[in-house]
Amino acid sequence: MTATTLPDPATSPGPLARREGESEWSIVWRRLRRKRLAMIALGVIGLIYGLGLFAPLLAPYSYNEINLDRSLEGPSRDHLLGTDRLGRDMLSRTMYSARTTIIVTTAVVLSGSLIIGNVLGLLAGYRGGWVDTLVMRLGDIFSGLPSLIMLILINVTLGPRVTEAMRWVEDHTFIDGLVASGFASYMLVFGALSLFFWVGTARIIRAQVLTLRENDFVLAAESSGAGPWRIIRYHLLPNVSFLIILSVSATLGGIAGSEIVLTWFGVGVQPPAASFGAMLFEGSGPRTFQANPHLLLVPGAVVTALLFAFNLLGDALNDAIRAR
Amino acid sequence: MGAYIVRRLAWLPLILFVVSFATFTLARYGPGDPISVAAGQIRDPEVLERVRAERGLDRPIPQQYVTWVTKAIQGDFGESYLQQGFSVSELIFPRMWISAQLGFVALIIVFAVGIPLGLLAARLAGTWMDPMIIGTLLFLQAIPVLVVIPPLTWLFAVELGWLPVGGWDGIFHVWWIGGVIAIPVPDPHLYIPLVAFTLPGFVGVARLVRVSALEVNLSDYVRTARAKGLSETAVQFRHVLPNSLLPLITVVGFALAGIIEGALFVETLLGINGIGRFTFEAVTSRDYDIILATTVIFATVFVLTNLLAEICYGFVDPRVRIGASRG
Amino acid sequence: MSQNRILAMMLSVLAGLVLVVGGLSAVLLLSGGDDTAGGGDGTGTSTSIGGNPAEAASGRLRLGGSDPVTLDPHVAGDAGSAEYIVEIFSGLVTLTPDLEIVPDLAESFDVSPDGLTYTFTLRENAKFHTGRQVKAEDVKWSIERAASRQLSSPTAIAYLGDIVGVREHFFGLAEGGIPGVEVVDERTVRITIDAPKPYFLAKLTYPTAFVVDRQQVESNPRNWTRRPNGTGPFTLAEWRLGERIVLQANRDYVLGAPKLSEVVYLLSGGSLLTRFENGELDVAPVSIADIERARDPNSNLGPFYQTSQEFSISYIAFNTNVPPFDDVHVRRAMGLAIDRKRIAEVTFSNMLAPATGILMPGMPGYLDDDLTLPFDPEAAKAELALSKYADAMPPIVITEVGAGAEARTDTQAFLEQWRTILGINVEVRQTDFATFLADQDAGRLQAFNAGWIMDYPDPEDILDLKFHSGSSLNDVAYANPEVDNLLDRARVEGDPAARLGLYQQAERLIVSEAAWLPLYFSLGHTVVQKEVIGWFDPPMVVPRLRFIEVSR
Repeated sequence: MTATTLPDPATSPGPLARREGESEWSIVWRRLRRKRLAMIALGVIGLIYGLGLFAPLLAPYSYNEINLDRSLEGPSRDHLLGTDRLGRDMLSRTMYSARTTIIVTTAVVLSGSLIIGNVLGLLAGYRGGWVDTLVMRLGDIFSGLPSLIMLILINVTLGPRVTEAMRWVEDHTFIDGLVASGFASYMLVFGALSLFFWVGTARIIRAQVLTLRENDFVLAAESSGAGPWRIIRYHLLPNVSFLIILSVSATLGGIAGSEIVLTWFGVGVQPPAASFGAMLFEGSGPRTFQANPHLLLVPGAVVTALLFAFNLLGDALNDAIRAR
Repeated sequence: MGAYIVRRLAWLPLILFVVSFATFTLARYGPGDPISVAAGQIRDPEVLERVRAERGLDRPIPQQYVTWVTKAIQGDFGESYLQQGFSVSELIFPRMWISAQLGFVALIIVFAVGIPLGLLAARLAGTWMDPMIIGTLLFLQAIPVLVVIPPLTWLFAVELGWLPVGGWDGIFHVWWIGGVIAIPVPDPHLYIPLVAFTLPGFVGVARLVRVSALEVNLSDYVRTARAKGLSETAVQFRHVLPNSLLPLITVVGFALAGIIEGALFVETLLGINGIGRFTFEAVTSRDYDIILATTVIFATVFVLTNLLAEICYGFVDPRVRIGASRG
Repeated sequence: MSQNRILAMMLSVLAGLVLVVGGLSAVLLLSGGDDTAGGGDGTGTSTSIGGNPAEAASGRLRLGGSDPVTLDPHVAGDAGSAEYIVEIFSGLVTLTPDLEIVPDLAESFDVSPDGLTYTFTLRENAKFHTGRQVKAEDVKWSIERAASRQLSSPTAIAYLGDIVGVREHFFGLAEGGIPGVEVVDERTVRITIDAPKPYFLAKLTYPTAFVVDRQQVESNPRNWTRRPNGTGPFTLAEWRLGERIVLQANRDYVLGAPKLSEVVYLLSGGSLLTRFENGELDVAPVSIADIERARDPNSNLGPFYQTSQEFSISYIAFNTNVPPFDDVHVRRAMGLAIDRKRIAEVTFSNMLAPATGILMPGMPGYLDDDLTLPFDPEAAKAELALSKYADAMPPIVITEVGAGAEARTDTQAFLEQWRTILGINVEVRQTDFATFLADQDAGRLQAFNAGWIMDYPDPEDILDLKFHSGSSLNDVAYANPEVDNLLDRARVEGDPAARLGLYQQAERLIVSEAAWLPLYFSLGHTVVQKEVIGWFDPPMVVPRLRFIEVSR
């Protein structure tokens, strides 16, 4: 299969008119399966996510188990990927860092891309008028902001406030351990990232809905008195589902990367939670790299593999969906 | 078209208002303030209150905001708390200039390398080389800058000693030959940050160029040109290249955004006195006016770049009717 | 489509430019040219070592640095700014490298028998850089400016607040000047303080009490610090933000002209050590990544390495108002359960010295014996068993300033020891600096990791400020009547030895009650080029550059 007539992904979402849900999914899946690279990418993602998910079962050590006698060791039989300055097992820390990435990507995709992005995109596209204008301008504002700086600002200034609020909740309800479990810092990272990761999805969905809205079947449904929610649910949503997958797959890498960067700057996920950002931070600096390259290379390789796999998969999905 | 531009520009003040108000509130809502940061370790609460009152920081946030806006409109962005005696503009613009130089050179290199690679990939479509090129570029994009820089500095600066470890000394050095002929030579501080900036950017450009080049390759006029017996090189340069460049205009904005973000860690890791590192330091020390000025300037640049890209797009390709796209 | 072609041409021209530039740079690289190091631009012609001593003042010292927050001595509160300020400005008295208080602009001073009145006689040859003589009126005006409402200096009360009338002046409660500062005649100024305070003189060595040029400040109130007219051993010759600061010797400095002719601070960042190795800097700090190399005498850094004591301590503070730290047994147990020596070795490669108390070696009143709680797991468990929280330990959060992504490695090691030895799960939280200060000042922190750098070499500056129940800086809410009593008596004790004895008693009590767990004393680690003669790193900021020479 040569992808000679690939439409440009950024500007024109191709027509996805036919709507026999079931079979289309399997077509896409079949196309995807024929791409060896995509399968490898999927395998890599699966492996890293699996290791992360089952870290408590698989990791040889706890991510926080300190052994000062084995500080900064290279790979050995006991520690397959070596140890860090506090003698903690790098393999275990890597697995738990993957876990953090999983939690953050899943939560942000769910809240940011899927819920906020879709709802606003559908609304804007379907209702049009001032709703459309409002949503799109809001999108402009968020995409017009220097997002990383804003993310850092939000985390720095709201972080302590969120923690305070959580403590208040702990003190006044039966809920406990919100802060101690790191829930507060996770929530903040989710919330802040979600603020910035809905725009892309919303724009794509809106554009698609705009074209769909003029389609016969929507007009027919409207004239037969179907309510807006019914039309969105039964006529629009199924037709944009592939686009949703596409846009989500395109943002995954960005979300994972943002969390790592935020944590690297010390404003993301808080210790003792393990994060690739924290591990990369420990390994940065040319001299540190010279003396203990594994501090950087171990998390660096995993992050690169993961982001690369996200890229490849997104690409392949793009081909598979658009070539239907 | 003119009306469209005006309509888009009319949004700018509103966007700037939202951005500045959000930043303003956010920065002041955080616990702590620059007064206590600047005070040193002997901090008497009574004294700090006095100092805050003297600087107007004890007034309600909306009132402070109005004061700020009034001054900002007159071009006075305030004064830094942590670099006292210098106005915000004096502090920001030299740093912004450093970052802008770096970003501009990076942008050019991204295009200069990405475009030929994209064309090449399109020419080689169907062979293993095409996915190879794009795949390699995708891989380069996947390596976080945080991972690239330490090994690069170690190798080129520490081990080989060819390049400085960090810092910034302008883009060009001038070599004088015989005191008459001046040759501008890139400054050695430039290389490592440039590599870090550009590696993630190639793939975006190359992929776009590749896709449109593929389309153009199949179009009627290119076929006609080929049929006329024009050499392949001529076809590529006269027809394919110009028409593949169009969509690139739309990514200039994104590329710029990427570079501004990248500046944050490249400058932090390499000790470059640019705007990214400066902003981060301002955020952690609550240097209110600096934070505000940088976000507002960034937002303006983003919005204007995107608008400019759209206008260019419509200008270069009249087929795109901007007015209809409800933008 | 003509626009297309224009665009394409523009882009290809740019691409071509980049390729040419790239090619050129490759040539440059291969030819190994690094012309950046060509520092000697002809200003410093070399003089041989041991040459004519009168000619020795030609040296140019190149240091790394960062932009000062301000060069206004009256508002600067940070050590980074003070580094520059003490070289450019000066006051009535100053500190020698051995931390003795000696007259500076004053040639002598008298303290009245009741310890309340200080009479300073100014030197006849005390001059500003412009050559104008420093008069008593300048001293008075400077102090009034430092403590003025308008300036609202955050340091004024801390350093000048003992002077009669300064508080009223600062808070705008009284009109007119400060009655505690009187001009007796042109060369005599009399300062009256509110109670006999043996440490008052030490406070006058701090920049807040320095003399500034009234004419300059009034003619350019906003920007005068860009080229300040001071009275110190050096003048500011150039300040380019983020690039460099150049100080030039003030040949007329009252305590003797500097031996150097010029000091250049490179502010642009990057690794100072690498610049040192490239010969671009004369002095550079050594960081943990390089410390092993620097200590190895056979390495390329070894011969240049120096280490020094600093008057700064890092500690874990327990808020004694908040459970479980209102119980001394919990605090002591946590102190007994951490192996600071081992942790300093592993996490800091011994770049810090384990603290032996609160006062650092070299401080007046420093005791040789180790006052701190030893590492003793069994004793720790026993101590914890005595606590009322032994069975129901409330959650503990320890806060620290996050410099980056990871909690400080030593903190993480402490957490592990508390968990394994005492079974206490402590959570560490990182905040940014501004948040930390706000929380610390508000007493909102349960436990925190912090540090203290001495402002003046007197035990009062740490023991009284941090542990007296009436001090606003007592952020651990420590209140021990016995300690208060000792500190109160030390404030006014006239006999120096007896006074230090009182502080020592207080220190023992404080350490044994573990309101702080003293962790480490800071050490300075630097490499210094052989051409630099007499380089020293004092334990706190003192004017030092005039003692240093460069034989190049």
